[in-house]
Amino acid sequence: MKIVEQVLKGDKRAAGKLISMIEDDDAGATEALAAIYPHTGKAHVVGFTGPPGVGKSSLINRLIREFRVRDRKVGVVAVDPTSPFTGGAVLGDRIRMSDTGTDPGVFIRSMATRGHSGGLALATFDAVKVLDALGIDLIFVETVGAGQSEIDIASRAHTTVVVQMPQSGDAVQALKAGILEIGDIYVVNKTDLGGADSMASNLDFMLEERQGWRPPVVQTSALEGKGIKELADAINKHYRYLKGGGGWRRRESDRARKELYESMKRLLAEAYSDETEGVAFEEVVGAIVVRKTDPRSAAKTLLRDLKLPK
Amino acid sequence: MAKKIRVLMAKPGLDGHDRGAKVVARALRDAGMEVIYTGLRQSPEDIVEAAIQEDVDAIGLSSLSGAHMALFPEVVKVLKKRGAGDILVVAGGIIPDDDIPKLKKAGIKAVFGPGTPLADIVAFFRSSAK
Repeated sequence: MKIVEQVLKGDKRAAGKLISMIEDDDAGATEALAAIYPHTGKAHVVGFTGPPGVGKSSLINRLIREFRVRDRKVGVVAVDPTSPFTGGAVLGDRIRMSDTGTDPGVFIRSMATRGHSGGLALATFDAVKVLDALGIDLIFVETVGAGQSEIDIASRAHTTVVVQMPQSGDAVQALKAGILEIGDIYVVNKTDLGGADSMASNLDFMLEERQGWRPPVVQTSALEGKGIKELADAINKHYRYLKGGGGWRRRESDRARKELYESMKRLLAEAYSDETEGVAFEEVVGAIVVRKTDPRSAAKTLLRDLKLPK
Repeated sequence: MAKKIRVLMAKPGLDGHDRGAKVVARALRDAGMEVIYTGLRQSPEDIVEAAIQEDVDAIGLSSLSGAHMALFPEVVKVLKKRGAGDILVVAGGIIPDDDIPKLKKAGIKAVFGPGTPLADIVAFFRSSAK
């Protein structure tokens, strides 16, 4: 495919267009993704999650500059929510990443969730593959400002950075399960507000070594540019840890498993949305409503008789 | 999934008055479009680079400083240079009537001055952005 060849040559316009094809689920998207897949797997994918307004975009903006100085090509996929009412979105992460301007070694893509939950869009990690194939070394994925349970990012990224800020809850908040268990690196941003030390020590108290990696807590101020080098070093250190042990392979397996499972779910949804199968599906729905069958048994029967779309 | 209309809203040049751009951004959002807002003080090169990475169908430029004749045609020129001349460029802000034909000649597809009903702007993006 022409567009794939252009992406592999480093053509940004083609990469932008291919990401749109994937988002819109265009006819050629599946074929294009299959063609680029062998050229992926080189980039280090780093996810950023944490509550809205904690400074994820501003931190990424600082990190882009830091890694550009270190001569790495940097990509960003930044996800913002789609309105559930109108389907529209205002994507504003780019405002805080405008320092990079026309730097040829940077590619930033804003993405709306388009109804997908978990803090990511359906196309997020396919867009990551496009950037990987484009020759980007380091890809930051910024989730929707997540609450306490949007943890999908951890099974998709190689390194997950959880960003918190001072004065956002006491030691009990840090004890809660979910988002505070998924980080490979924890950041207390906005140290300029004061109170960062106690937040950092509350977090630090909760963290344990897992499979040879003890998540560090890094204090930063994206506003003042403090702690950015330390955070960049921590990201690189985690990369070396993953590559040195079995971590990289394990993360890749997690990701592959998740993507395979999601692709199967998607195929199933497609299979039952066409005209003939869709009607059969609706018949079964009716049978479940009137208690002629139950959802679990009906699912078994449907899967047994399934004909997949070509 | 249906094709979404994606629009980049940008303020080239030095003025900081972005209320108009934000109001239009919100109207386009409410019309179901995805609006990438890039903020203030963008050079034409910055705007084109962002438009390419975001693969937008259209760019909305806003200026209230009087620098539109220097900046808006430059955006069209840089787009063409980068092989992205198919991206629609639309303008708004304080634009004297005399300048509108000149801007259109320079490749700006529409100019929306103060008082334009939001519905007109939405309708234009809907029918013109593919």
